[in-house]
Amino acid sequence: MQPRPLLTIIFAAIAFLPAGCARLAPAKDPHTLYMHMGAEPGTLNPITATDAYSHSINLRIYETLVDREYDTLKIIPQLAERWEISPDHLTFRFYLKKGVRWSDGVEFTADDVVYSYERIKDPKVACAQLKVYYIDIRKCLKIDRYTVEFVYSRPYYLALVFCGGMPIVPKHIFDTGVDFNTHPNNRHPVGTGPFRFDSWSTGKNITLVANERYRGAKPEIRRVVYKFISEPSVALQMLKKGDLDVMGVREIEWVRQTNSRKFNEKFYKKKYFMSSFSYIGWNESRVFFQDRRVRLAMTHLINRKEILDKLLFGLGEIVTGPFYIFGDSYNRDLRPWPCDPARAKQLLKEAGWEDHDGDGILDRNGKKFSFTFTISSGSKFAERLTSILKEDFSKVGIEMDINRYEWAVFLDKIQSRDFDATSLGWSDPDFQDDPYQIWHSSQIEGGSNYIGFSNREADRIIETARQEFDPAKRVKMYRRFHAILHHEQPYTFLYTMPALAAVSRRFDNVKVHKRGMNFVEWKVRSTQ
Amino acid sequence: MKKYIVKRLFLLVPTLLGITFITYLMIRLAPGDYTKLQLGMEGALKSGSISKEILEQEKKLYGLDKPIVVGYAEWLWKFARLDFGTSRKDGRPVAQRIADALPITLTLNIITMIIIYIISIPMGIISAVKKGSLYDRFSSLLLFVLYSLPHFWIALLLLLYLGSGEYLNLFPLGGIHSDWAGGAGPLVRFLDFCWHLVLPVITLTYAEFAFLARYTRANMLEVINQQYIMTARAKGLSEKKVVFVHAFRNSLIPLVTLMATLLPGLLGGTVIVESIFSIPGIGMLSFEAILSRDIPVIMAITTIAAVLTLLGILLADLMYSLVDPRIRLEAKL
Repeated sequence: MQPRPLLTIIFAAIAFLPAGCARLAPAKDPHTLYMHMGAEPGTLNPITATDAYSHSINLRIYETLVDREYDTLKIIPQLAERWEISPDHLTFRFYLKKGVRWSDGVEFTADDVVYSYERIKDPKVACAQLKVYYIDIRKCLKIDRYTVEFVYSRPYYLALVFCGGMPIVPKHIFDTGVDFNTHPNNRHPVGTGPFRFDSWSTGKNITLVANERYRGAKPEIRRVVYKFISEPSVALQMLKKGDLDVMGVREIEWVRQTNSRKFNEKFYKKKYFMSSFSYIGWNESRVFFQDRRVRLAMTHLINRKEILDKLLFGLGEIVTGPFYIFGDSYNRDLRPWPCDPARAKQLLKEAGWEDHDGDGILDRNGKKFSFTFTISSGSKFAERLTSILKEDFSKVGIEMDINRYEWAVFLDKIQSRDFDATSLGWSDPDFQDDPYQIWHSSQIEGGSNYIGFSNREADRIIETARQEFDPAKRVKMYRRFHAILHHEQPYTFLYTMPALAAVSRRFDNVKVHKRGMNFVEWKVRSTQ
Repeated sequence: MKKYIVKRLFLLVPTLLGITFITYLMIRLAPGDYTKLQLGMEGALKSGSISKEILEQEKKLYGLDKPIVVGYAEWLWKFARLDFGTSRKDGRPVAQRIADALPITLTLNIITMIIIYIISIPMGIISAVKKGSLYDRFSSLLLFVLYSLPHFWIALLLLLYLGSGEYLNLFPLGGIHSDWAGGAGPLVRFLDFCWHLVLPVITLTYAEFAFLARYTRANMLEVINQQYIMTARAKGLSEKKVVFVHAFRNSLIPLVTLMATLLPGLLGGTVIVESIFSIPGIGMLSFEAILSRDIPVIMAITTIAAVLTLLGILLADLMYSLVDPRIRLEAKL
């Protein structure tokens, strides 16, 4: 047959390809950091961006008026050098640092702040997720070139964090008459931070380089490449091979795939807790879960310790409430309800749920205790959790079906309160603590209190705490609030899971702060 | 013939309208929309009425407040001027996003198709000629084993054993270019590109041999038992000539039908392979668009796929008459 020589050439070429191409690669620059990113952000405009990915990149490019110290969370100056708060806690006046330059050389002034505020308020700008934080601001005024003032319509203890943390974009770049939502600079940001945007190769990576005009200490890392790798197991291979320097690893990888000596010689393993928790929410508008005793019984039926060990390799901590477990507001006097099926049965009986007709399923007034657990089909944890629960519940005569929905549909079901029970998580990345959005009864319609929790004392605590400026007093209120939740069990609180990360030992000074890691302070280890 | 083609092309229009309308209807009726997704669970909706107002504003921005028919008409009017709108996700024109993703997917799929055809058609022919032989049985067993291996598993095994450096370090772990390739010359860039394609192409091809090989084998068997083959043999023609000229040509007709599905298949892309190998192709683009209810992107991709499918079917019909002159096109309408 004729094609043989050709085939041989092709095979030879394929065989040669790996050796040839691998040799072409130049040596790696030690000052470049390769970060893993699970998905590609849509935009790098801090006002319209919604996902955590763009947030983590924007954090390096853009700055805000104030920042929070990495360990103490104290509010510290960033673009503002100081600020004044009126005695009624309604007016916030910021004095901006002079001579701060955007990475294109233009000076940062009060006009940029006011312009950014106006964009957030602009109905044509797609940033609903941000707008809600600024509803209470009545106006934002330019006093002079280096002074701005925010006026609130009511006092709120987080007001300084919100107006001081407002994203700020350069007016001279964006105010050109082009639609803000699709502005070309949304994909080519200009900021004041330690890094400046270099390039964006769609579907592959985003590269930042050190900002020469940055006024602060210059980071040792000169270049950061964020690589988009959607498949976590492939990302881990890349990390091991040296194509990535930093990535968050999953529980199973932490326990099973990153313990070799070789791995630990090349990488630090960092484990730290942020403010987040997972839970099972019982919809209180359903006949089963209206009664506190039933909700408590459900908690007693769930073996949280065993599920933690089995599904999550014992890495997390069982929590009793919504606050950061190592924070002040968390009430440490409360112990998690134990797994106690006998007590659960008794509670159910007290609430009227018994097997009257002898069919093996509890009932009350002719209604069977048969409910549906709604989960997002993407969540492996929820999938495995519910199959354990289904079996445990059936032992005491509770029938449970599992409904899986794609994320968008799932969200729709939850937001329209069309579910019996569900499992999800909340995170509070800025340690703000304020329970208003999730727990206040006014948030049942249209807010995030979709399980319909309503408690008069809890409402009162939430409202007064929002206007309480003494942290010690607020902590006391929140501990009481935590106790109410523990008693009422609107959620069965599950776990707070640690962030697990692997970082290349090419770097030194890799510290874990309360707010997490910060590569700006990392040192590049000199190669031998 | 010309008349036939013109007629068929005109018939494409109502079909296309139907397809796009149904697609639009389905996305709009599906639960969940873009704005709600953006707010997600962290949608810190402060006080009820005001947040609802914001939500309404947001819906208006994306035209989600309009009735479905109006929304569709607006889309159609834009489409008629070849404007696919802007993507919700990144605010870039949809046409540009597709133009970014399409060449990669096309290259990958064309290479894959060529390899599949080159390998499986000869395999099918040989199997048919040597029906029942050890080769026939062994090859079909092998092909079916390959057929039943899941893609994601093979892809991960390939990466682990050939790419990770824990066993062999022959291939990159994904992407389509090395980071350093940007500044290199065209030849190096091309080689680098090929180097990145090896594993994805293996993953895309291995399972596809079975179908086409069995298909060819079945068609060949049917033809080989025809009397004219016996005649050809009786004439004293060489076996090669009998098989490749007389038999194979006549077994081509069903393969042409297959070609009709080829065209849209080129666009299809495979989400799994693209996601494992971090390839920014059409598969990932459409998958993401559907999950995030990015209507302009979904509509554009569906429309392009629909057009290609319809053209593919037309092309196949035309090719019938080429392969088999007995088929008359006019009669079919």
